[in-house]
Amino acid sequence: MKLSSRYNQVNIFTSLIILVITGFIYYLFIHLILTNKLDKDLAVEEEEIRQYTHTYQKLPLPASYIDQQLSFTQAPDSLAGFREFSYVGYLNPKDNEEEPGRRLVTTVNLKGKTILITITKSRVESEDLVRVIFLITLAVTLILLISLFVINRFLLNRLWQPFYNILKKMKSFEVSKMETITAEPTKIDEFIELNSSVNAMASRVRQDYKELKTFTDNASHEMMTPLAVINSKLDSLLQTEAFTAQQGAILEDIYQATGKLSRLHQSLLLLAKIENNLIADTQDVDFKLLVELKLRQFQELFEQGGLSLELDLENKTVHMSRYLADISLNNLFSNAVRHNIKGGKIVIKLSEAALVISNSGKGFELRDHLFDRFSKSSESEGMGLGLAITKQICNLYGYEISYDHDEMHTFSILF
Amino acid sequence: MMKILVIEDEQALYESILTYFTGEGNVCEHAPDFNSAIQKIELYHYDCILLDLGLPDGEGLELLSRLKKLNKKDGVLIISARHSLDDRLAGLDLGADDYLVKPFHLSELKARVSAIVRRKNFDGDNVIRFNEINVDVFAMTITVNNKPLSLTKKEFDLLVYFLSNKNKVVTKNAMAEHLWGDEMDLSDDFDFIYTHVKNLKKKLAEATCKDYIKSVYGIGYKFTAI
Repeated sequence: MKLSSRYNQVNIFTSLIILVITGFIYYLFIHLILTNKLDKDLAVEEEEIRQYTHTYQKLPLPASYIDQQLSFTQAPDSLAGFREFSYVGYLNPKDNEEEPGRRLVTTVNLKGKTILITITKSRVESEDLVRVIFLITLAVTLILLISLFVINRFLLNRLWQPFYNILKKMKSFEVSKMETITAEPTKIDEFIELNSSVNAMASRVRQDYKELKTFTDNASHEMMTPLAVINSKLDSLLQTEAFTAQQGAILEDIYQATGKLSRLHQSLLLLAKIENNLIADTQDVDFKLLVELKLRQFQELFEQGGLSLELDLENKTVHMSRYLADISLNNLFSNAVRHNIKGGKIVIKLSEAALVISNSGKGFELRDHLFDRFSKSSESEGMGLGLAITKQICNLYGYEISYDHDEMHTFSILF
Repeated sequence: MMKILVIEDEQALYESILTYFTGEGNVCEHAPDFNSAIQKIELYHYDCILLDLGLPDGEGLELLSRLKKLNKKDGVLIISARHSLDDRLAGLDLGADDYLVKPFHLSELKARVSAIVRRKNFDGDNVIRFNEINVDVFAMTITVNNKPLSLTKKEFDLLVYFLSNKNKVVTKNAMAEHLWGDEMDLSDDFDFIYTHVKNLKKKLAEATCKDYIKSVYGIGYKFTAI
């Protein structure tokens, strides 16, 4: 729910309640005042009749005026002193229709007899007045609500526009492009503050990014140089004559450890680069072509393991870094070879929706942590980074990688 | 015979490179920093310059632009610790012939330098001769005792690799990386190299070629005339 519509909701809801309550109180008071006035009129009339009766010792003529009726009836003595106001409906003789009225029933003592006097006054006028007032109130309420709604809808939307613009710019912000977020012209203090905070944050992020990039470069350089020295010295050592087989075996172990160390280092650097989105050569990659290229590259390894291939490749173009596409295929393929059995098979399916690589092999127990760093089965010779890197690459481009196994180990990448 | 300049500040590394390249009439020189490198480049011609990008007193890439301004045709191989695509592209754009990431095998370096020198050597022929073996690298043909020999792509590459590293012990590890690329995350068991070497040896023997390829300590192989 948008802030403005939520605000609108609350605003209109409270206005409505307050207006209804006010209207009700308004109605009540006006009704009370008007009834009070009618009662006073009725009391004046009663007083006149009493004086008339007292002076002339007879009842006045039971007259009917336009909106007033008067009648007398004989009543038993027990009712002496009775006096009561009430609302009634009565027949107005002039228009000959039922009208609401206010009635005063009282008694007067005439020559020892108790006479019941009934005075009825029409309430039509006061009812009309109340109705007019009610209608006016209703109209005002409606106009108020409509104007509130319109103001909220259009003015608020316009007021919030700078906010949405900033939001849009933040969404499209890419740290590797080193662009600045331009300030959105606005007079609202909050938005000016938001603008400057966003810009400050962006420049801080850019700064961090630059530092990180420099750091990775330096770390790489500083570590690779000694490794290069070790490697070159080993190569040189090897050229000197006369090694025993035992020394040869030791040399081979050192070679392997050095090789592993440099690959490990490169993998970790690569992971850091992917995580920080430092690889920018995104382009359209013909994935089918790449898979076929990789198959040729791995051909000898497949033959070596006596592995049979089953292929089902459709055309597929992905938008990603070619370098990373290459690496993820490398990892998945070498994984399929490494965890295979002698004379096993590899099934590769590529479609518009997914790349699925299955291989025969022994069951292994790491299913939950398969994509974690440095997780590998005990007999694996790898570093346990290949799948972590592949997953990271998939994450970067929003692909979904999953593992499944029945009689085959299956990795699927959903594009 | 090649004339080579190594521009590298890490003493241990350039010493190894110089030792490895010296011999067979090769002339190797060394420059530890930007200024001495510039002086040497201006004065002499080299078949190939090995350039470390991370020099202490100036960017290696700057040297490349200078070389271009001087209109020099020397081959350039960049050695860099930076495994960055941008740097690689920047280097190749500025006219470098190849890019090798540290750490590398000396045999790989030698193979790449030899390839550059062969490519630059337009006037001469591009045939590597070794006793009865003639390899035309561009036409990708081999003759042994003047009779053509047919090899697979990998076997051909392997033979050229051996010929670039004559009389040197080449490890299986280096051979695997050369043939399949170093990003393949290969298993540490390089036994499959054995199959390829065996096939190559067999084909050479069938073509009445002497057995030059010797296995060394189980680590690797040596291509030698003895």
